[in-house]
Amino acid sequence: MKTNMTRLALSALLSVGVLGAVPALAEDIVSLPNLSYRTGPFAATGIPLMNGQRDYMTMINERDGGVNGVKLGYEECETGYSTEKGVECYEKTKATGIVTQPWSTGITLQVLPRSNVDKIPILAPGYGFSPMADGKVFKWAFNPPASYWDGASMILRHISEGNLDNLKGKKIVLLHLDAPYGKEPIPLLQALAEKHGFTLLPIPVGVKEMQNQSAQWLQIRRENPDFVLMWGWGAMNAGALTEAVKTRFPMEKFIGIWWSGHDGDMKSVGEEGKGYRSLSWSVPVSDSQAMQDIKKYVLDPKKTEIGEGEFDWVFYQRGVLISMFTVEAIRAAQEQFNTKVVNAEQLRWGFENLKLDEARLAEIGMTGMIAPFETSCDNHSGHAGAWMLQWDGAKFVKVSDLLQADQTEIAPLVEAEAKKYADANAPWPMNDECKM
Amino acid sequence: MEFVNSVFVKPFQDMAGAPDFLLQVLWEGLVAGVLYALIALGFVLIYKSSRIFNFAQGIMVVFAALTLVTLYEKGVPALLALPLTLAVMFALAVAIERVVLRPLVNQPDIILFMATIGITMFLIGFGETVFGGENKAMITEALHIPTGSYTFEPFGGLVLIEQKDLTAVVGAVVLVCCLLLFLHRSRLGRAIRALGDDHQAALSVGISLSTIWVLVWFIAGVIALATGIVWGARAGVSFALEVIAYKALPVLMLGGLESVSGAIVGGIAIGVLEKLFEIYWGQPLLGGNTETWFAFVLALIVLLFRPQGLFGERIIERV
Repeated sequence: MKTNMTRLALSALLSVGVLGAVPALAEDIVSLPNLSYRTGPFAATGIPLMNGQRDYMTMINERDGGVNGVKLGYEECETGYSTEKGVECYEKTKATGIVTQPWSTGITLQVLPRSNVDKIPILAPGYGFSPMADGKVFKWAFNPPASYWDGASMILRHISEGNLDNLKGKKIVLLHLDAPYGKEPIPLLQALAEKHGFTLLPIPVGVKEMQNQSAQWLQIRRENPDFVLMWGWGAMNAGALTEAVKTRFPMEKFIGIWWSGHDGDMKSVGEEGKGYRSLSWSVPVSDSQAMQDIKKYVLDPKKTEIGEGEFDWVFYQRGVLISMFTVEAIRAAQEQFNTKVVNAEQLRWGFENLKLDEARLAEIGMTGMIAPFETSCDNHSGHAGAWMLQWDGAKFVKVSDLLQADQTEIAPLVEAEAKKYADANAPWPMNDECKM
Repeated sequence: MEFVNSVFVKPFQDMAGAPDFLLQVLWEGLVAGVLYALIALGFVLIYKSSRIFNFAQGIMVVFAALTLVTLYEKGVPALLALPLTLAVMFALAVAIERVVLRPLVNQPDIILFMATIGITMFLIGFGETVFGGENKAMITEALHIPTGSYTFEPFGGLVLIEQKDLTAVVGAVVLVCCLLLFLHRSRLGRAIRALGDDHQAALSVGISLSTIWVLVWFIAGVIALATGIVWGARAGVSFALEVIAYKALPVLMLGGLESVSGAIVGGIAIGVLEKLFEIYWGQPLLGGNTETWFAFVLALIVLLFRPQGLFGERIIERV
């Protein structure tokens, strides 16, 4: 009896203690879910990105005790890059999360209308639906630092030496994953092909054909294009590079978007992939202060583990930058709303007011890792510049100056497509507070 | 009229106009077909001996290839890593028989099928824990697989034949021949076929069900390793390899689930026909990526006329 009473008393004390601790914990932590994919056919590209995201947040928690004392509760929900599982993860995490990171264009398109109702900001850095850049229409969605249309424009400007009219009469193949992500640049590329007189030939690659692209590359051989642009993901990148080597396609005419520039994918081609280029809005700078802090506070004390050589990879360090966007948005929101624990609505404001100029990048130890950019209520992308990285047989190296997209060609299409989306999903809540 | 021309005339004009390109398409189709046949064989062997549709064949390909590459990365010489991987596949076969199949003897087929889905899920989770999800390069050179290419110039054109692909085709042919010899000439092979023909009759003459099950799962593991090496050499080894198993489904529908020769003929037929269709009809008329569905449509058409597949056994049940 006495034992039971003691247990009861202990339980009561414990309960009080736990319950008492709840408000304190809630004040100190913000929940930042990430709809990650470390499994399935796209895991090879997902893992370094997720590792980078996780490790930056862990570093902020370890080094600074969080953002102004508020710990970052980074949690992953595994989707395997499946849209259905992604939507399940969104539903599961929306109650506590103050942001959602869908990590696939398909999932982004599914959660886009829901986030308006649930009032949760979507962070889709460098992916998702390109017209999301129009903040007046997509109040809750953000795709910094650049959209796929920005990427397509930068690649075309680069290969045309700054003047798209130089592409007149040329043939450009778009080798793309047969998924919403891969199809995303087609509207802009088609519009530019019509305007500047080049031929665009989209060649889709199904998920089951990612590792056997002989039919696609036979067609490329038959068409003999001037350039092949790639919107590839996961095993598709390695499959395409292997076939390009096999069919002796000149690597200097083969250019991928930023998700087709993964060091891990290049392992299969190694030396033979020399000359392949990938546009990238991030550049690995392993000796930057932020990266060294990750090493010091996270990797060396074995708080987390990453693969051999992964620390220097483009994708790992891009993951770091993606988490930095969230951290900076939290910081901005804390300051704006004079609060420590920001909610989803306040974080939305933070994403809308990111100011990552040279000075701020230097302050957070990320000089040279990303081009400066800022967002606003009507510009949810930031339209940052990007660089061409080239595979030298062992690693990617920067081979261009900072490239910029031609907004005069993109903006009308963004506006038209955003309007089309809003009309198709009427009544669509617009960002009426934005007067820009 | 234009439609008729683009479907019935132009493709053949294109073939005649660039015969070297047609040869290249046929070669690529043959290579793909042989590889599909290899995957399908894994399914056929297990189905033939145990009436189980092995959903785990795809993940076994990944598991075998990753074991080989990881052993090599850990410093084991390639030629030692190969038999060690086979030993792992044997251990896997024993474990599957002991833990999964034996307790389910006499259960309906669907239960055994569901059990193979369970094996798939386990191997995915276990594999990702042990090997990680990163893409690994196949140890092609260490295995002494030639990596150059042969160039031919027939009809004044160009045909490229990768030594890697040639090795894959030759290797697959040798493997299939050995398998056929084993099935038809050895005691154990005959026992496998006997079990496939009639379980109860086979058991009544003293054939051990558990031994045969371990054996066929091990052979499926050997085929999985061969498939993993060949496909892995094309685009690296990762869990993405698992999806290639789906390419075997139309092969099985076409060739019949119980026929080794059906898997081979079905695989090659699908490989060649889907490549021809994609290049000469799919890409110009339908925007491409017809390979994802063409084989299934072809198999369904065959099933309309031969429900048992081209080489499957016709089952007549009298009531």
